Amino acid sequence: MTRYRHIDGWRYPDGVRLAVNFTLDFDAQLFRRVLGEPALELAQGEFGGRTGIWRLLELFHRHRIGLTIFTPGRIAELYPASLREAARCGFEIANHMWEHRVPPEPDLEWDHLRKTTTALEAISGRPPVGTRSHHRRSSLVRDGYVYTSSGAADEIPYYVTDGDATVLNLPFHYALDDAMYFHFGWVASENAGQRLEDCDAVHDVFLAHFEGLYADGKYMNICVHDFVSGRGMRVRMLDRLITEMKQRPGVWFPTCETVARYCLEQFPPGPGR
Amino acid sequence: MPWKDRYTTSDERTLDRIAWPEGAPCALVVTVDLSPACGPDGITPKELEAEDTEYGMHVGIPRLLDTFARHRVSATFATPAIVAETWPTQIREIAARGHEVAAHGERHEDPNRLERAEEQRRIARTTERFARIAGVRPHGWYSLPRPGDRYAGGQVSPHTIDLLIGAGYEYFGNGCADDIPYYWVTDAATRRALLAMPYYPHFDDQFFLMFPAPGKGSGLERPAPLRANWIGELDAARTFGRCLAITVHPHLVAWGGRLGLLEDVLAQATSEPRAWNATAIGCARWFTSAYPAATSLRLEPSIWKDHAGSLS
Repeated sequence: MTRYRHIDGWRYPDGVRLAVNFTLDFDAQLFRRVLGEPALELAQGEFGGRTGIWRLLELFHRHRIGLTIFTPGRIAELYPASLREAARCGFEIANHMWEHRVPPEPDLEWDHLRKTTTALEAISGRPPVGTRSHHRRSSLVRDGYVYTSSGAADEIPYYVTDGDATVLNLPFHYALDDAMYFHFGWVASENAGQRLEDCDAVHDVFLAHFEGLYADGKYMNICVHDFVSGRGMRVRMLDRLITEMKQRPGVWFPTCETVARYCLEQFPPGPGR
Repeated sequence: MPWKDRYTTSDERTLDRIAWPEGAPCALVVTVDLSPACGPDGITPKELEAEDTEYGMHVGIPRLLDTFARHRVSATFATPAIVAETWPTQIREIAARGHEVAAHGERHEDPNRLERAEEQRRIARTTERFARIAGVRPHGWYSLPRPGDRYAGGQVSPHTIDLLIGAGYEYFGNGCADDIPYYWVTDAATRRALLAMPYYPHFDDQFFLMFPAPGKGSGLERPAPLRANWIGELDAARTFGRCLAITVHPHLVAWGGRLGLLEDVLAQATSEPRAWNATAIGCARWFTSAYPAATSLRLEPSIWKDHAGSLS
């Protein structure tokens, strides 16, 4: 049974009011391939690997803010140059499965996890410590991972325990995921369910959540995709959003790992209960 | 194993800093899809007789031609062969006004439903039927999405691009892997490739104007996000030096107040700093000459491996 431990007495380092983690799920065409989507859907994913990723790296580098790239291990074989550039910029490279699926077979699941850890370490020079995936928590702990980022059982980081494996979770909410607004047919959804949004509408949603989380000193994790937010008009929207966020005092833009290390040090999970 | 086969269709990284003609900051390509809404087997007599089709061919096209003339914009009309044969006068008028007529399948059918030999026969037949009607063969081939399709990028079979190269086509109209023209590689070893023109469903009117079809929900008429996408991407194309490629349908965008959406984006694109406008073939030929595959297509050696327990 999965158990949750919420953090009591949540506070940031002096001078910080809100941590904003920008997270980039860089999976290009891999998820489309796993879903068996047609050629021109894969090509829309390929846009992210050829074009979108470079624009996003440039955007976050120019703003001198932290970025965590959750990426499947196989991206290291498909688009190694962009991952090397991300590492050179000082961005965090974290686990997003091997080929954007977690096999149900325990041996194969472990094999995929090890392959991904090895592939990403070969790019960045250090093993990843975070993941956005549904790998078993016992496997994650065994392979040295300390945090996940999926699901939102709180508005601030919290601990999740399965058996004797505990990891920190940095809450990820679908309301802050670009694909929910901009991707036609997300995860093979029905044609009649599509309502494609424009940048201004989504900017306003993101900014309203920022205002709410900032007012209460919570935590914000914005998820963007290379093939979604790497489109020119959306890069410009993010540029505007980041600029507006930076104008508020006490907004901290670290990587996910930095937030995770802070939590583990200041609010350790303690003994299980 | 071919280079990243079944994952990638082009090189690893796009071309940056495109130097468009006339010192323009970006390009504008307008595609008019002359296919009525149809199913994956393509247009049937029922769709040719529909009110929407009648509107598009007799009222929508003249309105679009006037709009293009007022803004001095050239467009490409992606036309199924059966539509060209049913309305040859319109096709000749479009060509006479300086626009491009490109092929859009024999009847806008999904080529995945055809054997390779049948797909090849249909491409040959379509090419020849256009030559008879318009006096020249088409240089570009489209396979755009239909409003009822589950996916919004259009359809190519595993053979389509290769067959189009064999049939002498110069570009494929709806490539989805870039926002400028790019080379779609069919064989990495021989560098066999066809230029693909950019397409993105968010710039296609059919996904915003009574979409999904009436009877499938409410709040279906959404001009605001369509306008915001066109104008927003035009601004972005200027910033990043890219090609804004929009797709419209005469039975959709020409009707009533919707025409104002198109008027707005054309007016903004043709104000300073002006986008360079060309038909798809005009843009394709310029790009192929300025950025030939021999020097611009940079295929990296593959480090892609087959792994036990992974998709290949």
